[in-house]
Amino acid sequence: MSTDGGKDPAINDGTDSGEDKNQPTNTRRSRSVAASKSGNAGKAVKNVKADGTEKKRKTRSAAKDVKKESDSKILKAAMGRKNKSAAPENINFRAPEYYTNRELSWIQFNERVLSEARDKDLPLFERVKMLGITASNLDEFFMVRVASLKDMVHAGYKKPDIAGMTPGEQLSAISTATHGLVNNQYSTWNRSLLPQLKQNGITVYMDHGSLNQEQGAYVDRYFIDNVYPVLTPMAVDSSRPFPLIRNKSLNIGSLLTAKDGKGAGLGKSKKKASKKGTDFALVQVPDVLPRLVQIPPEDDGDAFILLEEIIKRNIDKLFLNYSVQCAHAFRVMRNADLSIDEDEAEDLLKEIEKQLKKRQWGEAIRLEVEDHADPELLKVIKEELQIEDHDIFYINGPIDLTFLSKIAGMDGYEELKIKSWTPQPPKYMDPDANIFSEIRKGDILLEHPYETFDPVVNFIRTASKDKDVLAIKMTLYRVSGNSPIIAALAQAAENGKQVSVLVELKARFDEEHNINWAKTLEKAGCHVIYGLVGLKTHSKIALVVRREEDGIRRYVHLGTGNYNDTTARFYTDMGMFTCSEPIGEDATAVFNMLSGYSEPVSWNKLSLAPLWLKDRFLYLIGREAEHARDGREARIVAKMNSVCDPDIIEALYKASAAGVKIDLIVRGICTLKVGIPGVSDNITVRSIVGFFLEHSRIFWFLNEGNEEIYMGSADWMPRNLERRVEILFPVERPELKEDLKYFLNMELNDNLKAHIMQPDGVYLKLDRRGKKPLNSQKQFCIDAKERAQKGKEKGTGRVFIPETPPKDDEESSNI
Amino acid sequence: MPGCPKRIGDCKDSNWKMIADAGGESRTGAYGWDLNVRQIEIQEGGTVRLFAAIDVGSYMLGMKIFELSEKKGIKEIDYIRHRIDLGTETYNTGKISYERMEELCEILKGFKEIMNTYQVDAYRANGTSAIREMRNMEIFLDEIRLRTGIRILPLSNSEQRFLDYKSVALKQPNFEKIIENNTAFVDIGGGSVQVSLFTESKLMHTVNLRLGILRLKSKLEILKPGAQDYESLLSELIDNEIHVFKKLFLKKMEIKNLVVIDDNLPQFKKIIAPDPVTEAFSANDFLQTLATHRSMSPAEVAKELDMSPENVALFMPSAFLIMHMIQATGADSLWIPEVSLSDGIAYDYAERNHFIKSTHDFEQDIISSVETLSNRFQGGKRVAEELVQCSLAIFDSMKKLHGMEKRERLLLELSARIRDCGRYISMSFPAECGYSIIMGTEIIGLSHLERKMVATIVKNSYIRENDNEIGWRQDLDEKSYLTVTKLTAILRLATGMARSPRKKYNGVKAQLKDGELLITIDLKEGLTLEKGLFGERKMLFEEVYGVKPVVRNKTEKRF
Repeated sequence: MSTDGGKDPAINDGTDSGEDKNQPTNTRRSRSVAASKSGNAGKAVKNVKADGTEKKRKTRSAAKDVKKESDSKILKAAMGRKNKSAAPENINFRAPEYYTNRELSWIQFNERVLSEARDKDLPLFERVKMLGITASNLDEFFMVRVASLKDMVHAGYKKPDIAGMTPGEQLSAISTATHGLVNNQYSTWNRSLLPQLKQNGITVYMDHGSLNQEQGAYVDRYFIDNVYPVLTPMAVDSSRPFPLIRNKSLNIGSLLTAKDGKGAGLGKSKKKASKKGTDFALVQVPDVLPRLVQIPPEDDGDAFILLEEIIKRNIDKLFLNYSVQCAHAFRVMRNADLSIDEDEAEDLLKEIEKQLKKRQWGEAIRLEVEDHADPELLKVIKEELQIEDHDIFYINGPIDLTFLSKIAGMDGYEELKIKSWTPQPPKYMDPDANIFSEIRKGDILLEHPYETFDPVVNFIRTASKDKDVLAIKMTLYRVSGNSPIIAALAQAAENGKQVSVLVELKARFDEEHNINWAKTLEKAGCHVIYGLVGLKTHSKIALVVRREEDGIRRYVHLGTGNYNDTTARFYTDMGMFTCSEPIGEDATAVFNMLSGYSEPVSWNKLSLAPLWLKDRFLYLIGREAEHARDGREARIVAKMNSVCDPDIIEALYKASAAGVKIDLIVRGICTLKVGIPGVSDNITVRSIVGFFLEHSRIFWFLNEGNEEIYMGSADWMPRNLERRVEILFPVERPELKEDLKYFLNMELNDNLKAHIMQPDGVYLKLDRRGKKPLNSQKQFCIDAKERAQKGKEKGTGRVFIPETPPKDDEESSNI
Repeated sequence: MPGCPKRIGDCKDSNWKMIADAGGESRTGAYGWDLNVRQIEIQEGGTVRLFAAIDVGSYMLGMKIFELSEKKGIKEIDYIRHRIDLGTETYNTGKISYERMEELCEILKGFKEIMNTYQVDAYRANGTSAIREMRNMEIFLDEIRLRTGIRILPLSNSEQRFLDYKSVALKQPNFEKIIENNTAFVDIGGGSVQVSLFTESKLMHTVNLRLGILRLKSKLEILKPGAQDYESLLSELIDNEIHVFKKLFLKKMEIKNLVVIDDNLPQFKKIIAPDPVTEAFSANDFLQTLATHRSMSPAEVAKELDMSPENVALFMPSAFLIMHMIQATGADSLWIPEVSLSDGIAYDYAERNHFIKSTHDFEQDIISSVETLSNRFQGGKRVAEELVQCSLAIFDSMKKLHGMEKRERLLLELSARIRDCGRYISMSFPAECGYSIIMGTEIIGLSHLERKMVATIVKNSYIRENDNEIGWRQDLDEKSYLTVTKLTAILRLATGMARSPRKKYNGVKAQLKDGELLITIDLKEGLTLEKGLFGERKMLFEEVYGVKPVVRNKTEKRF
């Protein structure tokens, strides 16, 4: 699954971070940082970053670092004795006990998603969908994160993470946690969702044995007509080696004995076959057919059975001369991590194509098998895959729950679904007016999916036809399957515009998809840049250069989420249009840099990773700390997907210790801990898991009342801040700042979908007795609808800002 | 393709024409190629023109895109830079390797694409020392033109420095105020450093020191000093040259301001004076900040200045140069404007195309530096002044006949002003000596060709036996030759009149009337000598213009 709509909202986030394991390769962190980190935990931590091109950052004085290090060692010893609430300046903010392991934190996130599936207040289909999402999330987690850790263990890499765990220790903790998670998934399915589906007239038969006669006949017919022709059963014998089991494919393994009683004869010499003279045979459950097959219901309603059950029921038809002893479904997950050596890859495109083929053949890292599978059969599979016991998951139910999205997406049953949401027209623009003239009136904020993504598509589309447009430049990370943006870009190139597109080939799991349309764009005459060596381009920026009456004017769109019209319907993201000159200049400089030219002499408004962004964040956090130390009010509210950058967390701890009130809204991984006396007692962390996938990144700093609000593409993760091209941009138009403050406030007051991190690391939902229930996402929908309604009433389609009185000089006050 | 070509890429080279000089053969007139494409009419009636300025520097290739309009003047739209070390190869071998050439072409093609994107109306690409010092320059540039479609014009050092200077003069808001005090302009380049001295708003001297940072860097690389020796070696390299400079030019002059043009120092400026409002800062601050950075490793400096490590290797020589300049001149204020050659190119182009009007009189700078030169060789100031008056009077009255313009007038003035410098060396051979002096001295603001023209005019203003005009043509193209001849004729005529240091002229008037040039001199004494000398000096004039010059005293009637 590589594209769009089918992709579950939560799938690509939080886990697509396998590249973190590539730490030992080139990073921009300098040695001195590594040195300062290495003081931690009294463990001999040697950063192996072999950074030939190492640069910048934290080099103010090596001496300083050394001092810090020795200080921290003394402290460490002191703290080890007991006193944790030492004076702030004496605390080692890097002590491992102040951090959570990021993998475990991720599993917690998936548990929060799972808790949605268990939430009785939610419509049934929503719960079914959520369970499906936890399954696909977990798959990706294994393929990327677990695989990385396995690689590290194989490589003998023993460096503990920030929480002090070695890769081996992490793996065993993950194993325990994921086994628990899987058990929870299936108990949710078996005890809760499956019975309730049945109550609502939807029967999913878990076992072909429970079909009635009529249904059985239907299924057998279906097998002969549809399934049989596409099956490729494979037996193992001396001339036929054990077949390759493809990554993530569902298979049915069987043990056979020959009908003539001779014990098949084939397996005698093979260790794959058992002593009893049975043979192993394998058939892949074809992925070209729907996994969920609708069958005639017993009475009213709908009935389904899974494809593998149909095959199991008819498995004897595949091995005619044998009798089938047993047949059980199983699934293998392999190491799918792409580690491309970009310095050597002459042609990145080819390299990725090559790696894609390789992905199917990686080491087996997880085996799921039906919990009642024949031990003999299991033994054969285990031996062949060389998989260890703790990597085997015995599944009490259907393997691979991702098919649940099909149930959740079924037509009808409206009462079991959350009413589908139609994104509303944007607040700050007239959708029918020329987009460029609308932008000239003032910066425009778009809150997706509450507001429609159309203006963004429209922006590119209009530019492609506009006679005054000279150039369109854009970064693309993940786009939808039949993307109107790609079409518009191609059209623009055909219309003679200069179109430059940076296509990030390294967008995980989208590589194949990206290569295809990158080629399409090239054919259309676009200038396609295939990313930067060693860096992923994750920033979301589009620039339109227009030659107007009074000269060149640049229109810029900056966003927190991808240029993907499909995901924009269920990812909450922010976007901003502007034609401000300083940002326009910066945007031009960004594309110059991405095209391989030198960095600009200075930046006006934007902050870019990997060179400047982290320092910028550290500065902004440090400034609040400074204010707090001076006895002034200081506050930070930040919303993003993950927080796990040690430097940032250290800065946050220091700020909290100085008295800065910090509220974080972090959907996924958060390795920061709250409520540690003297360290993080001023920090709160909440995670909102709702109908839409929380995805926007907003950063608000009080700054002595001169509030600064930024948005961007980066999370507070090392990969974002050090190995990606990311952009942080300020929001300066006062109305937009007010909107964003409202937005953050709502999320901070959400008491239905927010999970609050406790000092022990556990996330709990709020006790909302006596409080008015608030679901922030729902509220935003209501707000957007009301605004649209008001706009309609005005008859113009134009919506003015309700809470601010109109000013005479509105235009000039705009940024 | 019917109609007008829309973009550079659509244009054949032949369609590109030079704006100021359709002949295209000389470097003098080449101030840009007009692409002759659409110009957007703005409602107020003015035009907005997009102009690209390409700077082929010795360690950096830069291109700036400018929007030029009468209303808004010059506005920078885009600045694209690419590091490429052309200098090291040229300085050491006189040639550029094939690989480097490939690289250069690739970057230039990229630049051209960007020009296409903006649909620029004109561009100008200038090469500096790395191109200039190339032995096979012409072939190289032709190859570049064929492969990329971009014509690079090599700038002589004085032209290049003049553009830098011009961009500062136009970009720095209080430039006129700065140069009221004694000021040294230090223009740091890859190949050399140009120091220009201003006194009372006048350009006095300009000196070229072979202390370019790329040159220093490569010298240091050959010597491979340890971290310890690095400073002392660098200081020694710099000191030797600056010492001589101080002795010859600074003497007892007290310099107050130092204006520094450099690519890397603006970054440093941010550290010294983080507040962008402060334009100047004290030399002391500079020295102190530098002192804290001297002990840092290059990586630390890179981090501190937010600079790439490669640039640090260039920054250090720059900073040291300034340190030595501060010590040598005793300057106490420092100005580091952020300008590059591209700015100068654009300002020059904009000025010539009347998008901007300069508040500063650059011609006056050229004239005053020539005056200083003349003083150095003990030229009589009053005599020179009278010769200038006389020559210009003739020039102005002859406009219809000679068809020459402002720039040629300037050349005439310069020639007149400096004509006598050769006498300082030899009373018997002032012509040859004058020629050599002029050719050996940099006159900022003049191109190499223009300097040669001045030298030739001066040389030929002396009448020698076997006067042979053919000799003038050496090394001059036809157009320049004609200009030289025309101006020589005027200067010769003028020397026939303003010759006596004892006489006092009150004014000269010239008037063209009925095929005669009537020159009226306001002189108390008689004109016998002048009239006597007139005969042999008017021959060339009559030959060139077909006009008979007649001289008379204001008090007497026509004779």
